[in-house]
Amino acid sequence: MTEPRDTAVAPETPVPVVDDNGHLIVNIGPSHPSTHGVCRVLVELDGEIVVKAEPIIGHLHRGIEKMAENRTYLQVVPLTDRLDYVGSMYANWAYCRAVERLAGIRVPERAEYIRVIVCELQRIASHMMAIGPAGADTGATSAFMYTFWQREMVVDLFEALCGARLTYNYVRPGGVASDLPDGWIERCRAFIAQHPAAMLEIDRFLFGNVIFRARTKGIGVLDAADAVAWGATGPVARGSGMSWDLRRDDPYSVYPRFDFDVPVGSRGDAYDRARVRVYEAVESCRIIGQALDGLAEFKPGDIMAEAMPRLLAPPPGDAYDHIESARGSLGVYLVSDGSVRPYRMKVRSPAFCNLALLPLLAEGHTLSDLVVILGSLDPVFGEVDR
Amino acid sequence: MTFVWGLLWGLGAVMLIAGGAVIGVWWERKVAGRIQLRLGPQQIGPAGSLQMLADVPKLLFKEDIVPDGADKPVFRYAPLAVFAPIAMAAAVIPFWAGWAPFDSTVGVLFFLAVPAIGVIGILLSAWGSHNTLSTIGGLRAAAQMISYEVPRSLSVLSIVVLAGSMRPVEIMDAWRWWWVPLTLVGFVIYFTASIAEMNRGPFDLPEAESELVAGYFADYSGFRWAIFMMGEYGAMIVASLFGAAVFLGGFRWLPGIAGFVVFIALATLVITAVMWIKWTFPRFRQDHLMTFCWTVLTPLALLQLVVAGVVSLWL
Amino acid sequence: MAVTPEPVRTPATVSDEYPAGIKGVIAGARSILTGFAVTMSKVRTRPVTIRYPAEKVTVSDRWRGALRLRGVLGRDEVPLLSSMPGEHNALIDDLHRSSRLPGCVGNCPANVDARGQSFLIADGRVADAYALVRERNIMPGVLGRICHHPCETACRRNFYDEPIAIRPLHRFAYEEFQKIRPDALPVLPNTRGKRVAIIGSGPSGLAAAYDLMRLGYGVVMYESEAEPGGALRSGVPSYRLPRDVLSREIADIVEMGLELHCGVEVGKDKPLAAIRRETDAVLLAVGLQQSRILPIPGSDAEGVIGALEFLWAGNHTGEAGVRGKRVFVIGGGNVAVDVARVALRVGATEVRLASLEADDEMPAHPWEITEALDEGVIATCSVGPEEVLTENHRVVGMRMRECLSVFDEFGRFSPKFGEGLSDFACDVVVFAIGQSAKLDTLLGGTEVMMSGQSRLAVDGTTFTTTTPGVFACGEVVTGPGSAIGSIATGHEAADTIHRFLQDLPLDDEARIRRPVPAYAKYAHVDLSLVEDDRRRADMPFSDPAERSQDFQPVELGLSYDEAMAEATRCLRCESEVCVGCTFCARTCPDFAITVERDDTPGERCLTLYELDLTKCCFCGLCAEQCPTGALTHTGQYELSFFHRDLMTFDKGEMLRDGGGDRATGRDGIVSPVCPSCEEVER
Repeated sequence: MTEPRDTAVAPETPVPVVDDNGHLIVNIGPSHPSTHGVCRVLVELDGEIVVKAEPIIGHLHRGIEKMAENRTYLQVVPLTDRLDYVGSMYANWAYCRAVERLAGIRVPERAEYIRVIVCELQRIASHMMAIGPAGADTGATSAFMYTFWQREMVVDLFEALCGARLTYNYVRPGGVASDLPDGWIERCRAFIAQHPAAMLEIDRFLFGNVIFRARTKGIGVLDAADAVAWGATGPVARGSGMSWDLRRDDPYSVYPRFDFDVPVGSRGDAYDRARVRVYEAVESCRIIGQALDGLAEFKPGDIMAEAMPRLLAPPPGDAYDHIESARGSLGVYLVSDGSVRPYRMKVRSPAFCNLALLPLLAEGHTLSDLVVILGSLDPVFGEVDR
Repeated sequence: MTFVWGLLWGLGAVMLIAGGAVIGVWWERKVAGRIQLRLGPQQIGPAGSLQMLADVPKLLFKEDIVPDGADKPVFRYAPLAVFAPIAMAAAVIPFWAGWAPFDSTVGVLFFLAVPAIGVIGILLSAWGSHNTLSTIGGLRAAAQMISYEVPRSLSVLSIVVLAGSMRPVEIMDAWRWWWVPLTLVGFVIYFTASIAEMNRGPFDLPEAESELVAGYFADYSGFRWAIFMMGEYGAMIVASLFGAAVFLGGFRWLPGIAGFVVFIALATLVITAVMWIKWTFPRFRQDHLMTFCWTVLTPLALLQLVVAGVVSLWL
Repeated sequence: MAVTPEPVRTPATVSDEYPAGIKGVIAGARSILTGFAVTMSKVRTRPVTIRYPAEKVTVSDRWRGALRLRGVLGRDEVPLLSSMPGEHNALIDDLHRSSRLPGCVGNCPANVDARGQSFLIADGRVADAYALVRERNIMPGVLGRICHHPCETACRRNFYDEPIAIRPLHRFAYEEFQKIRPDALPVLPNTRGKRVAIIGSGPSGLAAAYDLMRLGYGVVMYESEAEPGGALRSGVPSYRLPRDVLSREIADIVEMGLELHCGVEVGKDKPLAAIRRETDAVLLAVGLQQSRILPIPGSDAEGVIGALEFLWAGNHTGEAGVRGKRVFVIGGGNVAVDVARVALRVGATEVRLASLEADDEMPAHPWEITEALDEGVIATCSVGPEEVLTENHRVVGMRMRECLSVFDEFGRFSPKFGEGLSDFACDVVVFAIGQSAKLDTLLGGTEVMMSGQSRLAVDGTTFTTTTPGVFACGEVVTGPGSAIGSIATGHEAADTIHRFLQDLPLDDEARIRRPVPAYAKYAHVDLSLVEDDRRRADMPFSDPAERSQDFQPVELGLSYDEAMAEATRCLRCESEVCVGCTFCARTCPDFAITVERDDTPGERCLTLYELDLTKCCFCGLCAEQCPTGALTHTGQYELSFFHRDLMTFDKGEMLRDGGGDRATGRDGIVSPVCPSCEEVER
């Protein structure tokens, strides 16, 4: 462990640039193009080799877990939007599952199907935010734009669905906020029809590229044992060959009805972590296709549990539920004291657990690799700091 | 009198580079836009062509920030040390049959040696900024630019061997069309090394945006920053013009004014290729960059030199 | 769209390696060429971005932009759902299609404008409210006491706390109207020169009569009893419906031009054929007159009686021959409960109510059951009649068989009985298990057809019988039902008669059916979370022990202040006029909204509506739950301001037209002020 540093240095105090060992001290962030948010990484460099990298978090801390204690159960949903703002639907869903478990609410199947569809779309949108920046972190800005266009299409779908492009507030305790608008299913099908091909193109363009391989192969290798020991989940764990996906291994909602594969890597380097996401996006398209087919069986408009009270007051008790978000296992723990407000909310944030791996992975690599490693962990600081 | 002429020529070179940079920025934004499924600038003027007319005043009027800890004189004048050598190098480019602004017998050497002075400017700006990221960027730039001088010089040397002269005007006179296939490898090496020399992607490590924010000029703002930008575009323009002349034959393809048009077109093509590469590929890492230089480019350049030397025996 | 998805298989591992040696070098070189190829293909495709201003048109219609109010209390009026007879369905259907039909109106069989009633009462215009209600509900005072108020079930307020007391407000409107009523009501003249005869003076007949009179026809009504009112007089006990209210409201209709002949039994005193000759159309609104009695052993014994006969006796004479006796009522419906409660009042010592259904599925309204139990009725649930125990042809008891379930898994009536038998000692058995029509006297000698035994052959949509010119409405068509349901059929039948008399097609495209929307089931709201001033006005009841002894009214009615406060609770659903209910402010997770209003009758006004846009997180919860639909999101997405103060939207700003992309009109422009507020300030 590093000794605590005084981070509040007065402006006139000269900032130490070189420490006692002759190592250069570099602050990456909190305002830096490739920290994927407001993260500050304090790096000790020997030449360009990272001796120690220490993520200093908390720049985006808003106290959402505490704020939730002062909001009704419905009012917490917009707060969860702001946890993982790249994948708001996941936090919505994980929270709603916890509330539903706490209050014993049965969600209509149509709502479950819609939730699966929007969350798989969200996985695509979120992975585009990981794959593209993997290119941008290494300087391939065009790949970033290509994935962003794919994300844009998803976000357009969400805009048509709920009127928001980032903080959706769409999944609600008991169901979803509104039914699919007219023509949405066709738009969604058109999207998933072109998406795998676009992903293959990105795969050829970026992941086949010799420079990109040189930049990411063998960088930040995480073995499966370490992944388990550090509580890594999601693509980070799967990149290390740990085939663990809550959708398959702890099935929730209607996922058991769908046929899909879980892509895994074998070397656990930055390349594997990034490329796992490409194939996850493709698999998400498969799931969405099946879910759209299944949606036809259910009555339109049946999207909210029957007789949902406006003010939920679940019986005293606690509930934990987790889902596979784009970043890993996202869990929400809720305690109710029987009132209309949660007594306590705790979020198990996959981004936080994955980010903890950074010092381990970055050590011994160069400064350029540090950025690649950080990008491959795909942290979202709204969720890390909460 | 010579001094006055020199001053005029210098002014001309600055105008050439500044004008080229204005057009180059617009063109790059258009090229990058199309590659990235975008339109690029489009609001000001037809197809955004007057965008730079808006950008230049903006840069002029922006606050000129000098960081507190900076070594102020060094910080202030380092951009000139980056820009001036590039403008100087433009003097030896053979624009017309038998004419170059500065017709030197060692013009090729001049062209290769003078821009390398820019390294000092970069180091000065990096150090003067008193910023860790800038310093790393400056050191990277120094290592990279000095290293890539070697394959670049060797590749130009094959042309010198074939022409039997270091005077650009004479090289152009001696130029034959079959030199193009013969020195193709040399041209590719020259092209690659020049990209590294001008710090453009995929060799833009010194300013690596995702790692060092903007590297050695991270702390610059306003017009000082614009001078760095102009230096980068100037290096691109100058290297492309020189490459288009000595490797691709420049104005020799057609007589008179048509030849000049072909020359400019070839140079534009080379510039576009530089942009295309930048917007296509990821960035190298420092060690890969060095390995690439010393184990791939330099041996290949030597090989090219040997081939050119052997062929020149029959000339 | 027609792109077939390229089948992409996920590899066993994503760690893709270049081959070793020269092949790897070739693969690397090829990847460079692939890069060029991909970017070149992108250069050749059309750019996907568009020129900036064009983006504005692509905003989704669910876009959550800056908020605005469509209308506001004090400036914008709530549209009253008032129409000429025959046009009401079109009005309701139109609202339903545009999702602007309030729940109370939609769920009422006669589509009474309960929203308008609350609006007018809260505004201090009680007489207008009475007139508005009477358009669709011919006797607001009567229905205000006996209606089963489906409106209140669909009231949006159920979602927040408790429904509006719509039925008590009908009664309040009637009582206030009686205080200020004009000396003479306007007579509805016979402008068309045609006459319609209506047989029966129950609710459906009166509703049809009023509609026809409004349309300009003369109406003659025949009633077999000595006094008009039909089932309202003979069936509904007077502790629920004081007879003076009924008489008063019928007298009002007579005053408006109805020609009423009581004590004339058509078919006996005057043949139907004669009436048909005298008038242009005949409407049969005779209702149901016979009680059904189960043919079980002993059901012909002395002491077994039908519910209608029992109630008739109880209501007309105050004596039903059960004084000092034990009464056993069979049935779980409202009639059975009425019988039980009347039995108590006419002196029965013990009243037992035996229903087939379990206690939570009895068809009687729960509040009626509660009141009956309060008064001392004993309920025995889940039993079916097996045998009437007799001694010397007199009832001495009742044997019941246990009932396991009443409905099968599809919800159909299919009782399953168990083995358990139980005997109850009693002196009188009242069957309250259903009623049927008695039509043989009425229809004797005419060509009007019956279908089967004691059922009129009638079209349930157009209310025509087999004979042109003869129509039917009310319970004789629908079977046993509610008073307001009968009134609804009266309106429909009047429309048919009007079409018949104008030689219009009785049923065509132009005739719009009343939409029957389905409303969300509301959860039970935990009232401990609700402040007192949000609660529904409690209807005061008379003391159960005292009231069960005589026919004094059970419900005492709302006081003036209670009723006025109750009317202001109405949310005016779907009116698109903000009433300042404060539910947006309560829902906002960021506490960005402040709402205040003034409730002075006649000057009701939303005095303050402030939205602090610096706090707004655009979650959409406020607009989503706005009961009136007044609060909506706009497509405005340019949320930049010259000053922080401009980001607090006041009422005038909220009322700005939501067009354009800028969220405020106040950069240099004076915001519009609510006109009513301007007056107040002056």
